[in-house]
Amino acid sequence: MSARAFESFLARIYVDAGARARFRENPRAEAERAGLSDAECTALENTDFVGLEMTARSFARKRQMKQQKGFLISATRLLRRFFTDRLALFRRR
Amino acid sequence: MAEDAEGDVVVVEADPMNAFHDKVGLGWRADLAAEIFSHLDRIDLLEVIADDFFSAPRRKVRALKTLSSQVPVVLHGVGMGLASCAPVETKLLENMARLVEQVRPQFWSEHLAFVRSGGIEIGHLAAPPRTADTVNGAAQNLSRASRLIGSKPIMENIATLIDPPASTLSESAWISAILASADCDLLLDLHNVYANGLNHGYDPKKFLRQIPSARMGVIHIAGGEFISAPDGRQRLLDDHLHDVPDPVFELLEEAAAISPNPLTVILERDGAYPSMDCLLAQIEQARQALARGRARRIALQEVLV
Repeated sequence: MSARAFESFLARIYVDAGARARFRENPRAEAERAGLSDAECTALENTDFVGLEMTARSFARKRQMKQQKGFLISATRLLRRFFTDRLALFRRR
Repeated sequence: MAEDAEGDVVVVEADPMNAFHDKVGLGWRADLAAEIFSHLDRIDLLEVIADDFFSAPRRKVRALKTLSSQVPVVLHGVGMGLASCAPVETKLLENMARLVEQVRPQFWSEHLAFVRSGGIEIGHLAAPPRTADTVNGAAQNLSRASRLIGSKPIMENIATLIDPPASTLSESAWISAILASADCDLLLDLHNVYANGLNHGYDPKKFLRQIPSARMGVIHIAGGEFISAPDGRQRLLDDHLHDVPDPVFELLEEAAAISPNPLTVILERDGAYPSMDCLLAQIEQARQALARGRARRIALQEVLV
């Protein structure tokens, strides 16, 4: 169970800037609050904080790109449906 | 050199790459479609991102089926998160199973990464801690995936800007343990090896010697960019937006020299597309690196015999 909790903790600090800031401020306290084992808390105290910040920024860019791509796909689908419907209406006339 | 039937000496034109049945292909991207179709004589296969088709309209899947009937296609997943202690979502496995059934790719592949946990979507491939727990979790997920989809995935090593906290195993030991536990082959991303080597201080060539060469079947090559860290140092980001750097071709030669299997090499490019000539030139460079590595392997075997 702790291994899963550890993955969830990593996911949270990768994605949530507030959680990351609190973790940077006091790594052990944040890790303990998440219910991690003593060994995991100790390991997290030795986190590469520079790498963590760079990783988080890189993931944020990827999420932003995915959002933009998703928006474009939805917009394209809507436009295609709109013009297909119009064309069908025009042909019926 | 060898003798022909009449006893004359003839020069044997060795093509080391063909002797091993190696192939070089390209990642399929819609932006490159027209150019890819115009140059299929120089591209052995196409790698398609499977996740782009999981909720695609039927006509798009039909187009992919048509493509796979004309060119060898392989499917590459990016969203399962198989290297996790948490069980992979059945829905994701069913999506891949459906697409594999429809497209009949030569193989399908995924990443040694987790992408979500505790209800949080990370949005990209994250490295889990390299521990016995994640080896077991990955092996269980891979076993489920293989059963449900009907074939084993080829698993790719990922690039990471942070050495995952709480890791107790080296990257090569962790990858080797998962491949052995799940009896899966490796998709070796050489730019990821190069980037991780630079970012975390290990020798990429040594890394290649530490992973089981018999499991090496597929290779990715790509490019990236050096980004500045807040401490002023630089780290290499694997962004697939740049040309393949020379050290990656050198690693490809090394991989070809040690791998006993036919290798399928795929050039990945996700944006900032250069001209098709530039991509084809990189495919050609990959063929030359493979040929050099294979020639070394043949020479070594001859010495040993």
